[in-house]
Amino acid sequence: MIYYTIKRLGLALLVALTVSFISFGLLYLSSDPAIAMAGETASDADIEAIRKLYGFDRPILVQYFDWLQRAMGGDLGKSYYFRTDVSSLIGERLPTTMTLGVCAITFAIVLSVPLGVAAAIRPNSLVDRVALFLSVMGQALPSFWFALMLIVFLSVNLRLLPTSGSDTWLHFVMPTVVLGYYAAPAIMRLTRTGMLEVLSTDYIRTARAKGLRPWVVLFKHALRNAIIPVVSLAAVQFGFMLGGSIVVETIFALHGAGFLAWESITRNDLPTVQGLILVFSLFYIVLTFFADLLNAWLDPRIRIN
Amino acid sequence: MASSDSQPNDATSVYGLMKKRVRGHQGMIIGSLIVLSVLLIALLAPLIAPHDPYQQDLLKRLIPPVWDSRGSWEHILGTDHLGRDYLSRLIYGARISLLIGIGAALISGIIGTIMGVMAGYFGGRVDMIVTFMITVRLSMPVVLVALAVVAIVGGSLQVVITVLGLLLWDRFAVVMRSSTLQIRSMDYVAAARAVGCSTSRVLVTEVMPNVVNNLIVIATIEIAHAIILEAALSFLGLGVQPPLPSWGLMVSEGKDMMLFEAWLITIPGVALFLLVLAINLMGDGVRDITAPENRN
Amino acid sequence: MKRQFLLTITSMALAAGISGVAHAGKSDDTLNVAIDRELESVDNYYNTAREGIVISRMVWDALLYRDPATNEYLPNLATSYKWVDSTTLEFDLRKGVTFHNGEKFDADDVVYTLDYVSDPNNGAKPARNVNWWASTEKLGDYKVRLNLKKEFPAALEFLSGPIVMYPNEYYAEVGPEGMALKPVGTGPYAVTSVEPGKRYKFKKYDGYHSSSPKGQANIGNVVIRTIAESNTQLAELFSGGIDWIWKVKPDQAERIEAQGQFTVKNSSTMRIGYLNFDAMGRHSKNPMNDVRVRRAIAHAIDREGIVNALVKGESMVVHSLCFPSQFGCTQDVPKYDYNPEKAKQLLAEAGYVDGFEIPFLAYRNRDYAEAMINNLNAVGIKTNFEYLKYAAFRDKVQDGGSPFNFGTWGSYSINDVSAITSHFQSGGKDDYSKDAEVIKQLGIGDSSVDPTVRQDAYKAALSRISGEVFMFPLWSYNTWYAFSKEVDFNPTPDEIPRFFTAKWL
Repeated sequence: MIYYTIKRLGLALLVALTVSFISFGLLYLSSDPAIAMAGETASDADIEAIRKLYGFDRPILVQYFDWLQRAMGGDLGKSYYFRTDVSSLIGERLPTTMTLGVCAITFAIVLSVPLGVAAAIRPNSLVDRVALFLSVMGQALPSFWFALMLIVFLSVNLRLLPTSGSDTWLHFVMPTVVLGYYAAPAIMRLTRTGMLEVLSTDYIRTARAKGLRPWVVLFKHALRNAIIPVVSLAAVQFGFMLGGSIVVETIFALHGAGFLAWESITRNDLPTVQGLILVFSLFYIVLTFFADLLNAWLDPRIRIN
Repeated sequence: MASSDSQPNDATSVYGLMKKRVRGHQGMIIGSLIVLSVLLIALLAPLIAPHDPYQQDLLKRLIPPVWDSRGSWEHILGTDHLGRDYLSRLIYGARISLLIGIGAALISGIIGTIMGVMAGYFGGRVDMIVTFMITVRLSMPVVLVALAVVAIVGGSLQVVITVLGLLLWDRFAVVMRSSTLQIRSMDYVAAARAVGCSTSRVLVTEVMPNVVNNLIVIATIEIAHAIILEAALSFLGLGVQPPLPSWGLMVSEGKDMMLFEAWLITIPGVALFLLVLAINLMGDGVRDITAPENRN
Repeated sequence: MKRQFLLTITSMALAAGISGVAHAGKSDDTLNVAIDRELESVDNYYNTAREGIVISRMVWDALLYRDPATNEYLPNLATSYKWVDSTTLEFDLRKGVTFHNGEKFDADDVVYTLDYVSDPNNGAKPARNVNWWASTEKLGDYKVRLNLKKEFPAALEFLSGPIVMYPNEYYAEVGPEGMALKPVGTGPYAVTSVEPGKRYKFKKYDGYHSSSPKGQANIGNVVIRTIAESNTQLAELFSGGIDWIWKVKPDQAERIEAQGQFTVKNSSTMRIGYLNFDAMGRHSKNPMNDVRVRRAIAHAIDREGIVNALVKGESMVVHSLCFPSQFGCTQDVPKYDYNPEKAKQLLAEAGYVDGFEIPFLAYRNRDYAEAMINNLNAVGIKTNFEYLKYAAFRDKVQDGGSPFNFGTWGSYSINDVSAITSHFQSGGKDDYSKDAEVIKQLGIGDSSVDPTVRQDAYKAALSRISGEVFMFPLWSYNTWYAFSKEVDFNPTPDEIPRFFTAKWL
């Protein structure tokens, strides 16, 4: 287990390093960052001064290693736009996104696990079909559309919920539903498959044959086993969600990391975009790392392989 | 695949079984019909579009569709903010949206399949590298990276297709890798290798035919995924270049008026929704029919 | 189709739902404002966004104040000013003014502020606002002198707007970072809370000096929030969460006005649109090098039609490269009417009977650009349209990578042609033609303080620019405002909303 952990950790670090290099290189496809920093009303003198000040005239590799070295110490540089530390900027915005992410993944699980179980108990029944339909809908419904429709119905017409902002928990209801709805289909499908698989195994048949009550078999024996892959999928989905919250945060004016990412892209705020891609990636890497460890711990076959 | 494994090598009986399964699969039929009609519309666009989709008339802007009391039969689905016929744009838009979906899936399919098959077939170091690349790719947030690149390079049809193609290959690689792994250990592949077939020959004649249905299933998922992503990019103002009428772009151009003229985004929105739904239904169908035990 | 139905229901419900809106704003004396972008900083000298200028006018004062109605320079923190000679200005300062934190205003604040922001090491921006004076002298507790680097006709314009006064002791202590988080000024509103990029809260400053031409604020509290998505802004307006929005799209504004639940106003701005050409072939050989082609384009574009159908509001077609109210601007220059036939004829004369194909760049107003593309297609000019983000656009244009593009310029709201014509046609990076005659005339206009000399020189330059179509001016821009019927607000042509003059009705 220790060997597996170390190996897995090494891989995670290597992935993180590669991602950092790609995200850095990617953004250097960019047009002159000095122009973006200076803003629309800046003069040529402003732009020249900025170019010198931030060292955009140096070779890219030099800039990367310089950036990497400081990034390791938690210094992601200064935002071109806000002129504050990127790390503190992201730190300020991350709680909103995390709150949203946690709510959304909880919503997705609460919605999809029971549905997946119900669908698995009676395959090809009405419940199964409804579940399937909902999941196909979830993949086809554009999120911005869904979000704006919710606003029109729940905020403008019915006045049930506040439209935008993040002051109270009520502000998070609509964003949670929109974001969570997109993670639900995958979780639902996996729960269903897992349950179907487990339900057809010998020990469940044995348990049933022993005369255990159906719900005991279902929840105590079947679900517990079927849920393992779901947990790691949920971890992965949570990682995706952080990156996918851009549209949702923009529409609901939640000043989280997703909105910051979008705004930073439009104003060519390279250090912030780099920092955010790195942080989002790290989240994913850390989550999958723990999910893998969890799986290895639960299933010894993995760690031997 | 399991189906080829469990069925005897009798082509007619496999075919007959498939036919039965297709008939019994309503989702597949509905999905295929919709996809087929969109394909036809896209191919026949110049013949069926009532107007030139690029012809503007600034004096006839934002005319509502015919079912609205302000609408007329001249423009059945109304006109957009530059007075262009909405139906014609929708018809031509089918081309662009399909092109984006299929183009992106093609690029990602080629990348993902090559990587996945190589990893599964050769194993060892190749597998390690491919698995590593998949992990790296998965850890990068798709929307964020796509947005950043399109913002930097500038949006165009080619850029959008390429960027999405370069970002969506992971699922292909993962599935192709595991399918190839499975097949590699099958008897007939081992036999082909034993009689001295070259690696490329084994891959092309023995492995590929057996992973093709998986490939189709993933392709449908990714086509749908690419179409939805393009719509999201367009919504944020970073999709294809106007005056090309992609459905995503139509939604984004109409969105400013969505609280007043809802049909402006409803029409392309419904088209997008139906197409993506149909493609997904079709993919599910293909999977259910070729390998019902893999349904998940 | 189900969604179709839902949507129809929605829009009907919406139309019905808008009536009977109860606004929270007036009852708690708080004006809720939405803006569409995150501000980089509320420190006046580290911000270039217009919304930042709006906040700056609320929180700080300048030495003078330009009356937006009469364009007269009125005394504010200075009681009077005097030109000692053409490069020396003296100010008598107002006594008894206190900053929001209780600090007294005097000559030290003025000297400190002006010295600090003009030091290039401090990076105040935009640099053109603060780089035109050489030094400041304290002549007494309430008297200062400003020594200009050279003649600078726009000096009073800057001193009556963007150059605001900071409290020297406080700023020395907290710097730009501190000022951005807890701004302190002498203005009609004091800042009570700053959530960077997200929300700013203001409270009426009861100690505001009574002699200010800005007048005392009427509304007790102002809250400015960032809401990026325009539909969300509208939804907030309709549901009463927001009282005031601006930059509403023309079509949206017309519908809101038609529904009658909100006040909708429009005001012209100094921004104008233009087409720019690589007229002299400085960067590449292309059809735009031929003046007949440029004239053909000028005749091909239906500016009137685009203004009427798309730009709307108080916008108008402009014939010279400046906004009509700007000093030195004249419409008495060669004009081009919309005449596709003539355009085709000119193209034929230039040897392009079958037209040609050319890349066309733009960075805003995609719909205007598309309408122009349609006009160009009609005379046989095919365009490869590239719609870019501003940074990428400017980069490409300045590198010479664009023989033909559509841009706009807002002149920093400075009411003088030197802020636009001289910027584009004096041989700088944005100048593709670099015409010797134009550069000469603009030079005369920029350095003289004699109004008639300036006017004549600018007219000569503008006439030549339009005659040779080095750049083709299109139309002026406008801004739409929509707000609660309980708010009395009047937009100004300088596009700087003054919330301190707003009232509850």
